[in-house]
Amino acid sequence: MLPRVSLLAGWLAALALLLPTLALAQPSPLVARLSTERVAITTAFVGESILVFGSTEEPLGPGGDEVIILARGPSGPFVVRRKVEVLGLWFNGPSARFENVPGFYAVAGTRPASLLLPEELREARGIGLATLPLVSTGARAPGFRRALVSLKQSAGLWQEDAQPIEIAGSRLFNLRLPLPSTVQPGSYRVEVMLVRARRVVATEQLGFIVERVGTAAEIERVARGQPVLYALLCIILAAAAGWLGSVVFRRN
Amino acid sequence: MQIYLPIAEMSVDALTLVGIGFVVGWLSGLFGVGGGFLLTPVLMLIGIPSTVAVASGANQTLGASVSGLIAQARRQNVDWQMGGVLVAGGLVGSVVGVQIFALLRRAGQVDAAVAIFYVVVLGAVGTLMVMESVRAIFRRSRKQQARLHNHSWAHGLPLKLRFRKSRLYISIIPPLMVGFVIGILSAIMGVGGGFMLVPAMIYILGMPTAVVIGTSLFQVVCVTASVTFLQAIQVGGVDIVLTLLLLLGGVAGAQFGAAMGGKLRGEETRALLGLLVLGVAGSLLWDLWRVPENLFSVGPAW
Repeated sequence: MLPRVSLLAGWLAALALLLPTLALAQPSPLVARLSTERVAITTAFVGESILVFGSTEEPLGPGGDEVIILARGPSGPFVVRRKVEVLGLWFNGPSARFENVPGFYAVAGTRPASLLLPEELREARGIGLATLPLVSTGARAPGFRRALVSLKQSAGLWQEDAQPIEIAGSRLFNLRLPLPSTVQPGSYRVEVMLVRARRVVATEQLGFIVERVGTAAEIERVARGQPVLYALLCIILAAAAGWLGSVVFRRN
Repeated sequence: MQIYLPIAEMSVDALTLVGIGFVVGWLSGLFGVGGGFLLTPVLMLIGIPSTVAVASGANQTLGASVSGLIAQARRQNVDWQMGGVLVAGGLVGSVVGVQIFALLRRAGQVDAAVAIFYVVVLGAVGTLMVMESVRAIFRRSRKQQARLHNHSWAHGLPLKLRFRKSRLYISIIPPLMVGFVIGILSAIMGVGGGFMLVPAMIYILGMPTAVVIGTSLFQVVCVTASVTFLQAIQVGGVDIVLTLLLLLGGVAGAQFGAAMGGKLRGEETRALLGLLVLGVAGSLLWDLWRVPENLFSVGPAW
């Protein structure tokens, strides 16, 4: 018990020392933080949510300042396929390949971003799914782009105004960003923007890392790095488990 | 209890997997088959990517067959010589099968191709099983004796070899071909192939039933090991966490199923198994047939 108390006391002392300097420093119009900077994918990983929170100098809400939060995950190429009917059966037919597709994308505002910023500004900053530069090679139909957006959205990997940023006491804001269990490891960027009079007047760049840890990381690392060793391990483990199981559950 | 599958990169309920393993193991113990032909489609049904379902299905069949092989070997029911010839064909078949699988994946046709393989193979095998067992049930009622084995075209080929254990003097070409075809199917469908191998050994090769099960298990263990190895290094679809969870339920279920299977008569068992096989084929055909809910699908580019 004692160490925890002294730790708390230490924190309080540090805070007391810091507070005057904070008050004296040039007031920042926007301060934002993340609840965590590291999301661990363990064997028990079921997804996680990250809290983006902060405060503004001027009051938030209708008539005052507004906040937009934009989060992006690592990008990669994706293929969208359309099924076609051949002899009564459905096969994958034409496909379109999209380069640089963000594996995770979320945007939210105190109000929808389309109401807060003019289109060219949203375009320049990549705010909103409509602004994603999804260029495809292969089949050229607008349906593929639309399908990509709707599939990613239904997987929870792309979110646009899924929920508004909550405001508390007109200066504190927070947003819960849900990450589904299918999120890809990598570094994620979170941009918090303060909007005043249809312009972005301040931004804060934050980031977090999604990484595999523990057994899941170990298995994935061996499977990718030493596939021959992994393949042999799979054979041996399955054979051993099958043999062991039949000994344990023998019924005669 | 949710568990994250590191290769499938998704989170699934561990108890569901153990339960699926148990039910499939129970059925396979009941009917004396590996159960891979049930497992892989069920895995795809619950949303496991088909590459992972096929590769891990083969891996699980390996584990599920090992103890059977040990038991049969102890009872001297394995014709190692015939098994060796079958395995030689099977290994080549598994290499070819995995290449076809990798090609299909690059073309984005794995799902449909695996389903079609299942529909064709299971449809044919299921129909034959049901017809054969119905005929056998009628024959039994007429008290007719079946012949020991039929002399067919398979007995007139060159490269003959004496298989002492099976009391056969036949060409090695038919067992090589049988092994090869089963090897291909094993690699693409993620099965051991026992449900096709056993009838092929009885009706094409004319092997005595006493050594059929043990020898087929030898082929299944070797070929699924080969498929596991090749799928793991070429496609990267073997998820050991998935395999072990399925095995956990599978080996327990198999023991209960085997205990119950002893009480069923041979022909009835085979008719039931045939109907089960036809049922799986039918449900996969229905999935290919009906208009998909979503015409589009998205996946990472290779």
